[in-house]
Amino acid sequence: MISSPTVASRLQGRSELGVALLLGAAGVVVFLDANGLATPYSRSDPVGPKTVPFIVAGLLVICAVLLAVNVLRGGSGEAEGGEDVDLAHPVDWKTVLPLVGAFVANILLIGWAGWVISGTVLFWGSVWALGGRHYVRDGLISLALSILTFYGFFLGLGIALPAGLLEGIL
Amino acid sequence: MDVFSSLMDGFATALTPMNLLYAVIGVVLGTAVGVLPGLGPAMTVALLLPVTYALEPTGAFIMFAGIYYGGMYGGSTTSILLNTPGESSSVVTAIEGNKMAKAGRAAQALATAAIGSFIAGTIGTTLLAVCAPIVVQFAVSLGSPSYFAIMVLALLAVTAVLGSSRLRGFASLGLGLAIGLVGMDSVTGQQRLTFGVPLLADGLDIVVVAVAIFAVGEALWVAAHLRRTPLHIIPVGRPWMGKEDWKRSWKPWLRGTAFGFPFGALPAGGAEIPTFLSYVTEKRLSKHPEEFGHGAIEGVAGPEAANNAAAAGTLTPMLALGLPTNATAAVMLAAFTSYGIQPGPQLFATEGPLVWALIASLFIGNLLLLIINLPLAPVWAKLLQLPRPYLYAGILFFATLGAYSVNLQAFDLVMLLVLGALGFMMRRFGLPVLPLVLGVILGPRLEGQLRKTLQLSAGDPAGLWSEPIAVWIYVVVAVILFWPLLMRFWRKARPEAVPAVAGRHVTTAPDAASTNDENADTRALDDGATDTSQTTPAGRQENP
Amino acid sequence: MSIIVGYLPTPEGTAALEAAITEARKNAKLLVVVNSSRGDALVDKRYAVNEEISGIEERLTKEGIDHLVQQPVRGNDAANEVLQAAEQHRAELIVIGLRRRTPVGKLIMGSTAQHILLEAHCPVLAVKAGQEP
Repeated sequence: MISSPTVASRLQGRSELGVALLLGAAGVVVFLDANGLATPYSRSDPVGPKTVPFIVAGLLVICAVLLAVNVLRGGSGEAEGGEDVDLAHPVDWKTVLPLVGAFVANILLIGWAGWVISGTVLFWGSVWALGGRHYVRDGLISLALSILTFYGFFLGLGIALPAGLLEGIL
Repeated sequence: MDVFSSLMDGFATALTPMNLLYAVIGVVLGTAVGVLPGLGPAMTVALLLPVTYALEPTGAFIMFAGIYYGGMYGGSTTSILLNTPGESSSVVTAIEGNKMAKAGRAAQALATAAIGSFIAGTIGTTLLAVCAPIVVQFAVSLGSPSYFAIMVLALLAVTAVLGSSRLRGFASLGLGLAIGLVGMDSVTGQQRLTFGVPLLADGLDIVVVAVAIFAVGEALWVAAHLRRTPLHIIPVGRPWMGKEDWKRSWKPWLRGTAFGFPFGALPAGGAEIPTFLSYVTEKRLSKHPEEFGHGAIEGVAGPEAANNAAAAGTLTPMLALGLPTNATAAVMLAAFTSYGIQPGPQLFATEGPLVWALIASLFIGNLLLLIINLPLAPVWAKLLQLPRPYLYAGILFFATLGAYSVNLQAFDLVMLLVLGALGFMMRRFGLPVLPLVLGVILGPRLEGQLRKTLQLSAGDPAGLWSEPIAVWIYVVVAVILFWPLLMRFWRKARPEAVPAVAGRHVTTAPDAASTNDENADTRALDDGATDTSQTTPAGRQENP
Repeated sequence: MSIIVGYLPTPEGTAALEAAITEARKNAKLLVVVNSSRGDALVDKRYAVNEEISGIEERLTKEGIDHLVQQPVRGNDAANEVLQAAEQHRAELIVIGLRRRTPVGKLIMGSTAQHILLEAHCPVLAVKAGQEP
């Protein structure tokens, strides 16, 4: 157990190398994509569609390399603080993953079941993930919010959110 | 038409019942999000972007302006009563403000903050009304080369000056520019970075990007690090000030305004530096220097005036040049684009009535804010008892709703989640989000200007510096870029002259308040290559 | 065996504490003061500040009552925290404060007191504010 902090700190260093990797990968993708473009000879557009992507790709790759060097030399980015943020404890995946789950559920449900159902699932699931345990009260609030926004958007803004399964009832 | 009559026309538009209603909604929402933890004006405006498609632009912008100013007012309330500055611009306010509140002078601290904000906001808006047309007159005489240079300056200044690490700032900028590339190339009509996905051909909707980065990323990030121990709020009655307080406040208000406006108007000037400068000045000029650190009213009056004047200042380049210098202005600019309004020097000419109504609404909003903030401060403080699950679930709910309602495509929600995860990762690893958003917004315009410039010069790169203004701007850009090198050189020459602040890591906002003095001093010395020995920006950037 | 009191920095909470102290004085037993917060809002008025807590501890020490002051922040309801403490210390009495609630308020928010009354395995003493026990 004594070695765990060093393992953890090493892992943390490594996880930031992932950012460098992501930047590098993004740079390569931008480069390859731009490389595949055709540059028609044109007097009116001497710059062409490739120049800016090449510059961006270069910037990304340079940042990736410098960041990797920086991290290996012991540099690290400062996690963002805030009013409601307590950086003393590590990332609480037990909250984040269910939140993402609720979000994904909404994406899957919205077209088929409609906004009123998917929105209720999203809000209720998020509240649950964040620690709300008043199941009935939370459910009523979720349902009310979804129905209100459904009609609010339809009547107020003229945007018809999908009714899905409840088509005909709403 | 001269400024005055345009402004009067603006008032006529802004004072119609509908627009007045939008102003009221804006300032109430703005104050609420300023007070609420985890929400800020940039996030709120982003969340409201889709809703406003149904509104006509004037009403929408009047509401946005109210949210922007309201957020500034609301931020001071939490700084004073809780010592948790929600935005980096109110970090300095918390230093003396919270001490005052602890000493039982919360009412006076809130009053001097509110009245100071009102005065600074009013003077700042007047300066905006006077300066913006002058800047426009100057700007319309500029050609593409100069305009390209100014955009480069704005991007680099925000990237290199704000934030704790230049390297990470540039990484963020690179990602933003890459996102901005996605879609059809405007000149040749070829698809870039769409990977054959037809839904990407029109590019990523700026609404989706802004909502993902500011709202989803932030909500996930806060959810991962929820503060569990309840804080103690200092009970407060109705804000008021005695004669002595007025006497000690009015000069700091004016001086704070003088610091705030110019810094706000500069690219990357921001609201932090002027609040800090104001604090230091008041400390030096005060007849009660011994009170500083124990709740000196000057230390609240000056910085609060400075950050509100800076807010007005920020709108000058935004309206006159189409250049956003902070997160809220960036999102407002995105709103212009989504209405099909071309931001830039032509804005005053093409959308004159809209712009003047917006400026007039700022005066009205300021007055409304004073009216709703002075008697209602205790009510606003009650908002802090809202259970977090509802708050953050609500952010996710409305973020989803907003992003979905743009095109009614579930695909946008997938992008929202992916970009939200990116925003989460950036917060985790200290990549500032503002350069990314600016990159997305300004990137395509930058490319357009570049192509226009070289088209005029028939492909000769010298065309880029064919105007004297452009040359001067590139000199400034070079100075900003090579600032760390220059400083290192200077340090070598006179090693004793540089304050040595090393190895400090300030993470939580309340702590940041006490060490902000050093932070602001060394911000300019930051250098991406030596991150471990750096100070961090106090609190967080202007984003929510 | 012990007495559990659910404490809040309100008149009802203070009344409950007073009643609990009287009970504890009658037959010297362990007095457990529970002041919990769900910790789900930035500010919770029901969570007593440190000065209040140390004031209570001082007073109980002076009165010579065996005591334990807990301030759990675990995301649980106040009722659950009180019931848990009761279980753990094998309480023979739970003391709580009551306040007036509108019927609508009760419907929406539920009632901590009701929850404790229904679930407790021992007698519950409910006290109103401004009333001598």
